[in-house]
Amino acid sequence: MRWSVLVDNFDLLLQGLLITIQVSALGLLLALAIGVVVAVLRVTPNRLARLVGASYVEFVRNVPLLVLIFFIYTGLPDVGIRFSELVTGVLGLGIYTGAFVAEVLRSGIQGIPRGQLEAALASGLSYLQAMRLVILPQAIRNTIPPLGNQTINLIKNSSLVSTISLLDILGTANLISSRTFAYAPVLLGAAALYLSLTIPAAFMVNGLERRMRAAYR
Amino acid sequence: MAIIDFIGVNKWFGKLHVLNDINLSIDEGEVVVVIGPSGSGKSTLIRCINRLETIDQGELIVDGQHVESPRTNIRRLRQEVGMVFQQFNLYPHKTVLENITLAPTRVKKVPRAQADKAAQQLLERVDIGAKSDVYPGKLSGGQQQRVAIARALAMEPKILLFDEPTSALDPEMIQEVLEVMKGLARTRITMVVVTHEMGFAREVADRVIFMDSGRIVEVGTPEHFFQDPKEDRTKLFLSKIL
Repeated sequence: MRWSVLVDNFDLLLQGLLITIQVSALGLLLALAIGVVVAVLRVTPNRLARLVGASYVEFVRNVPLLVLIFFIYTGLPDVGIRFSELVTGVLGLGIYTGAFVAEVLRSGIQGIPRGQLEAALASGLSYLQAMRLVILPQAIRNTIPPLGNQTINLIKNSSLVSTISLLDILGTANLISSRTFAYAPVLLGAAALYLSLTIPAAFMVNGLERRMRAAYR
Repeated sequence: MAIIDFIGVNKWFGKLHVLNDINLSIDEGEVVVVIGPSGSGKSTLIRCINRLETIDQGELIVDGQHVESPRTNIRRLRQEVGMVFQQFNLYPHKTVLENITLAPTRVKKVPRAQADKAAQQLLERVDIGAKSDVYPGKLSGGQQQRVAIARALAMEPKILLFDEPTSALDPEMIQEVLEVMKGLARTRITMVVVTHEMGFAREVADRVIFMDSGRIVEVGTPEHFFQDPKEDRTKLFLSKIL
C-alpha cells in the first residue's frame, strides 16, 4: 500500500478534518438547542405543544439523514431558499440529531421526581423557569452518556455532507483517492481521522459524567 | 378573618371521591393540624390550596383569591403560600444557599446580595447556618427538611403548608424538625400541617381536623380531640395511633 499519499496530502486531510469539526460542532449546538425545545414541548401540560413535539420527533427520526440533506440542498432552492454546503450540513445534522436529543432529554426529564417540579412551581416559579432552572439541569446531567452517544453518531453521520461536495474528511479522502487510486490507505487514513475525534469525545463524556456524579454527593 | 376558605369543595380522582363536600375556614394566624388515615384525602386537601391539585366543584378562596378561577394569577398567589414536602424536594444540583435564593431572586427579583443575606439569616434560624455552601445530598434528612423550611420562608409567605414533613425522617431527626415548626407556630404565621405527630398537634395546634374517606369527620381543639372525641371513627383512629 502506498502510505506516502497520506503524507503528500497531509494539508488537504487536515483541512478536511477542520471542516468535519466545524460542521459537527455547529450541528451539535443546533441539535442541543432543538432537542431542549422539543423535549420541553413533549412534556408540557399543553396538548397541542405535545403533538407538535411528537410530530417533529417521529417525522425527522424516521427519514434517512441523506434524504434530509438532499432536500435542504436541492429541494429548498425550488422555493427560493438556498444554503451553502456548510450551512446545509449543519442544518441537516442539527435537525436530524435534534430529534434524538429530544428523546434522550424527554426520558431524562421524566426521570426527575415529580416533587422537583412541584417544589419549583409552589415557590412561584413559572413552568418555563422551573424547566430551565430546576428540571433541565438535572435531566441533562442524568443523560450525559446517551447525549455522548448522540454526539459520536453526529460526528460519524457528518461524513454524509461529502455527498453535497463539502470537503470534510470523507470528501477530501474521496478527492485524493480518485486522483491517486490509493483507495485503501486514504480511506484508512480517513477512518483514523474520525477515530481521532470520536475516541477523545467518548473519553470526555466519561470524564464529564464522573465529575457530575462526584459534584453533588 | 378567614385566609383560607373551602366552600363545598369536591374532587375526584377517576371514580375515587377524594374530597367530599369540604367546608373549612382557616383564620389568619391559625395553626391547623390535619390528621387521618392514609388515603383519607388530607394531602390532597392542602395541595389544593396552592393549586398543585385542582378542585372539581365548589369554591376555594385563599388570601382573597379564588384558587379555582382560571383568571387568578396563580404565581402571585403561590408567592404567599410556602410549602414543605414529605420528600423535602430540595434541588440536588444547587447548594443549600442557592436552593433558598432561587425563588426570591427569580420571582421577586430580590438583588443577589440581599437574597444571600436573608437566606443566611433563615439558615441560622433553622439552626443550620454553617451548611450554606454544601449540596443537599451531603445533609441528613432532618437537615434537608430544615433547609426546605427555610426555602419556603424565603418568599415571606402568609401561609405555610406542611405535607407530612416528618414522615420520611429517621426517628432521631423528627424532633429537630418539629422544634423548628413549633418555633414558627409561635410567630403566628398561618400553618396547615398534615402530620401523624400527635405531640405536635397537642402542643401547638389551634384546631385539629380529622379526615376519613375524603370527608372532614371532626374538627376541634386538641383538648377536645385527645380527651373527648365525639365520632366513633375518630375514636377508633386515635386509639390506634396514640
